[in-house]
Amino acid sequence: MTAIKLIDVSLRDGNQSIWGATGLNTPQCLQIAPLLNRAGFAAIDFIASTHMGVAVKYYREDPWERIRLMRARTPNTPLQFIGVGFRFISWETLDQEVMRIVYRCLIRNGVSRFIVLEPMHDLEAMMATAKMIREEGGEDIVGALTFTLSEAHDDAFYAHLTREMAASPNFDSVYIKDPSGLLAGDRARTLIPVVQVEQGKLKFELHSHCNIGFAPYTYAIAADLGVKYLHVAHGPLGGGTSLPSAIPTIANLRELGHSVEVDDDAVRKIDDYLTRLAKAEGLPSAGVRDFDARFFHHQVAGGVMTTTKRQLEEVKLGHLMPQVMLEVDRVRAELGYPIMVTPFPQIVCTQAMFNVIGKERYAQVPDQVIRYVLGRFGKPARPVDANVLDKILARPRADEIRKEPPPLSLKELRGKFSAGLSDEEFLLRATMPSDQIDAVYAAGPARRSYNPDARPVVKLLEALIKRADTPQFAVSKPGFSLELRSGATAAE
Amino acid sequence: MTLRRVFIANRGEIAVRIIRTCHKLGLISILGASEADLNSTAAKLADEVVRIGPARSSESYLNIEAVIEAALRAKADAIHPGYGFLSENAKFANAVRSRGLIFTGPTEANLEAVGDKLKARGHAEDAGLPLAPGGSISNPTDARALAAKIGFPLLVKAVGGGGGRGLKRIDAMSQLDATVDLAIAEANAAFGDPRVYLERFVASGRHVEAQIIGDGETVLDVGLRDCSVQRRYQKLIEEAPAPGIPAAVEARIRQAAVAFGRHLGYFGLGTVEFLYDRQSHEFYFLEMNARIQVEHPVTEAISGLDLVEEQLALAEHGKLRLSQSDIRLRGHAIECRLNAEDWTRDFRPSPGTVTRALFPAGPGIRVDTHIENGASIPPFYDSLMAKIIVTGADRAEAVARLLSAMRQIEIEGVATNRDLHIALLTNSDFAAGAVDTAYLAQFLEARAKP
Amino acid sequence: MDLTNDDVEEIVRLLDSSFYDELRLKTANFELRLRRSGSGWTEEKTSLSTPNLLDAPATAAAPAAVKPSEDVEGLTSIRAPMVGTFYRAPKPGAPAFVEVGAEVTEDTVIGIIETMKLMNSASAGASGKIVEILAANGEIVEAGQVLMRLEKSAA
Repeated sequence: MTAIKLIDVSLRDGNQSIWGATGLNTPQCLQIAPLLNRAGFAAIDFIASTHMGVAVKYYREDPWERIRLMRARTPNTPLQFIGVGFRFISWETLDQEVMRIVYRCLIRNGVSRFIVLEPMHDLEAMMATAKMIREEGGEDIVGALTFTLSEAHDDAFYAHLTREMAASPNFDSVYIKDPSGLLAGDRARTLIPVVQVEQGKLKFELHSHCNIGFAPYTYAIAADLGVKYLHVAHGPLGGGTSLPSAIPTIANLRELGHSVEVDDDAVRKIDDYLTRLAKAEGLPSAGVRDFDARFFHHQVAGGVMTTTKRQLEEVKLGHLMPQVMLEVDRVRAELGYPIMVTPFPQIVCTQAMFNVIGKERYAQVPDQVIRYVLGRFGKPARPVDANVLDKILARPRADEIRKEPPPLSLKELRGKFSAGLSDEEFLLRATMPSDQIDAVYAAGPARRSYNPDARPVVKLLEALIKRADTPQFAVSKPGFSLELRSGATAAE
Repeated sequence: MTLRRVFIANRGEIAVRIIRTCHKLGLISILGASEADLNSTAAKLADEVVRIGPARSSESYLNIEAVIEAALRAKADAIHPGYGFLSENAKFANAVRSRGLIFTGPTEANLEAVGDKLKARGHAEDAGLPLAPGGSISNPTDARALAAKIGFPLLVKAVGGGGGRGLKRIDAMSQLDATVDLAIAEANAAFGDPRVYLERFVASGRHVEAQIIGDGETVLDVGLRDCSVQRRYQKLIEEAPAPGIPAAVEARIRQAAVAFGRHLGYFGLGTVEFLYDRQSHEFYFLEMNARIQVEHPVTEAISGLDLVEEQLALAEHGKLRLSQSDIRLRGHAIECRLNAEDWTRDFRPSPGTVTRALFPAGPGIRVDTHIENGASIPPFYDSLMAKIIVTGADRAEAVARLLSAMRQIEIEGVATNRDLHIALLTNSDFAAGAVDTAYLAQFLEARAKP
Repeated sequence: MDLTNDDVEEIVRLLDSSFYDELRLKTANFELRLRRSGSGWTEEKTSLSTPNLLDAPATAAAPAAVKPSEDVEGLTSIRAPMVGTFYRAPKPGAPAFVEVGAEVTEDTVIGIIETMKLMNSASAGASGKIVEILAANGEIVEAGQVLMRLEKSAA
């Protein structure tokens, strides 16, 4: 019998998996904040730099303001930020001292929990990042064991990582991050105990996506084995390619004899709110994903597969798809088994495609692959195949990329903007077009409330007004009727 | 303790207001209603309704035992007392808390410190706030000596009074004894406390008040309001910020309010009232209201805060979740109190049933009301029907927008003071802003003359 | 479904930019009518839900007291000018304005009616002698209810 606590990922990972990270704005987050705080979650997976960019670009909202306002409404539940490497909003790598300012601002504005994620598991980089976050005041630093199936990533591999993190003063938790939902049955029963042996003072959490339908059952196994922290999502953001849905997960765990410490009423209301929001905004539901054996093979997210197929078809080579899939395996091994988390599925698939349709293997190599083998994304689990490495580095383009200057230092980057800027504004201007930042400040403070029930009326009005050809309109269904009149027809 | 169920021990527009925030936060709202309010708008909006007693306030809204018993029966976690009624009653707050419920308001110590006007003055003096020259009196000789010191005209105020009640003006020494005697008798009858004190009467004074919120340690300043447009000490029009006060003076007033809150270890929402002398730019502490005020929406309008939400958050967590840097004030907001009274017939109250109610709507317009088609205005309570709050980028825009908004109001079934508001909003003195507390009386007098 | 003030503001903003002059919305809980009026808009709202009243403790409803309204032959009725709470004395503990047998004139104050916290005096309205007092101190009276009866004095 395990006493389970939940981490809600709806607003960040759920939003990212199902709604492309563009599904939620500040008022929509704030509206549900009091209930999220009441539910009793161990943490709220709230934001990543992608979402901060979306706030600026799509919603003209200040992401720092969103964090502050959210924090004010969730004083009892830590807010989590997930970062990958030394990147913030834009694709360019930032200097370490600039990254320090990023963490400083996140903490200052109300984030206290940080995921340290290195898909290559570059331990040196993970330790450096964790140390920096701790120095800036991070309270719950979570190291990610990113799960994948490969000969390089066996139980011993993850045990070693856990041991190192447990020995460091800068980690508080470890979690198995399973972006493709591959951790199942037998493997879960060996891997989880191995991590538990090494976890020491660290909290141990499980975060598994439902891509091939395993995660809900893996959660049950984890609970049976004594894992106390599980990541879930609510409403239309639960299930599918996102995390397991909260309500059935809670029911299952209780059915199996475990206890789940949450306020069920709040959970129901959160679920209901997100469902009504999705309906009001026309956003999709996660749906249910069935077992798909191909996943074990390529471990590539559906989206990348579809794109690759389309690209082949565009050049009338769609029939080569099976060969490309086989080539994906080979390229992945040669590149040292990168975990298939963005951007690596794209990198591997693109190279596999070029290898199949090109004159010979590695005749054509995109820039990202060159950067990869140069170690710009970190050190892979296994070294890059020596022959492949030589072939790629012999290219003149490799030389050019090698000579690319390192990222600007903090001083140099600061120098590009006016002196009086707050750290928060500086970071936004350093990573996004200035006219977008100007628009955010011009838009003023964000709205703080959102009502999903009002949206259908608003959207209907917007549509009718746009059409401009309907002087009278009436719609009626049980419990709802709406009439619009104009001019002479607006009778007293 | 997690807050889930909130019992609202009040009625009318403030009950509706509190219920709206409860809806927003996913909290269950339980309305404690008297017999006369069982079919009110608040009763229709609340998740649950509990009858607390007969129509008469003393048997319902002012009945401590009835309110608490109803809240317990409804399995509430907290009681929100609104304003008026028991909201500043220390005995009530104590009873609520000792029965295991959360009282959404200040501590008993806070309530006791500022409920008694003389004690409040004492605390203000200790906190270093400027006071209008004055003091307590216990015999006629003292009274004459003090009056001579203060100068005439002066005010005699009831210690147990408040909300504009228990005030009399004395213009000359010859009137002193008789007026003081009368004041003592009335104070005893009305408040059960015969104590009175004298205070300088400022000829051209403005009623300026500071909104604060504290958690016992930290006190935040949420800006000023001006409530000078009053009739017989009852506010009619309020606005935020207070216009026409030099920046340095405004800063000192706000700092004084915060200092007072800190001195008291104040917990919750509170308003520190000052008398601002238009001519000398000096300000004096008057009293403090330890509750949410009727006119709180104008502060909400310029700060973006939901003050009821802040009250509930404070009651639940015991700590402020905002910091001073979260409080950014912008724009100008003005509120008109629409009352059920016939202002052309000496403000005769006009209870009854509203057969039709049309209110303004649109950008920058907010209407807090319990009135809708078919709503009744019982004769047992106050005459406040609605608060029309309008926000503009600046005062001129707010005034123009408010005037246009007030003109949209159509109420059938009862008389209202709508046209008085329209007359005031078109009056050049009001439009210029920064009128004093004598303004409305003078305005009405001028109109009365043929 | 519930609409907040923000929602209505947003809807009005949209309507204002349109050629529509009126919106009528009806749900199970409320009915809302927004109408263009001059350069602005008005809102008319009616709540349709019924209060969810929890069980009150069993208090037998007191039989509604019959409020005297009829005239009696030979006597003049002094009626309440408005609804409110009737008080017989100027303040608690003070002697009543009038007792049975008191001689009064038109302007004699015979009681106070308190409505919405404001005191209004009730006067006799005729000259004569008070013969019957029907309204009790602190009773809630309706407009037009007979408070007292007097016997008019001759001429």
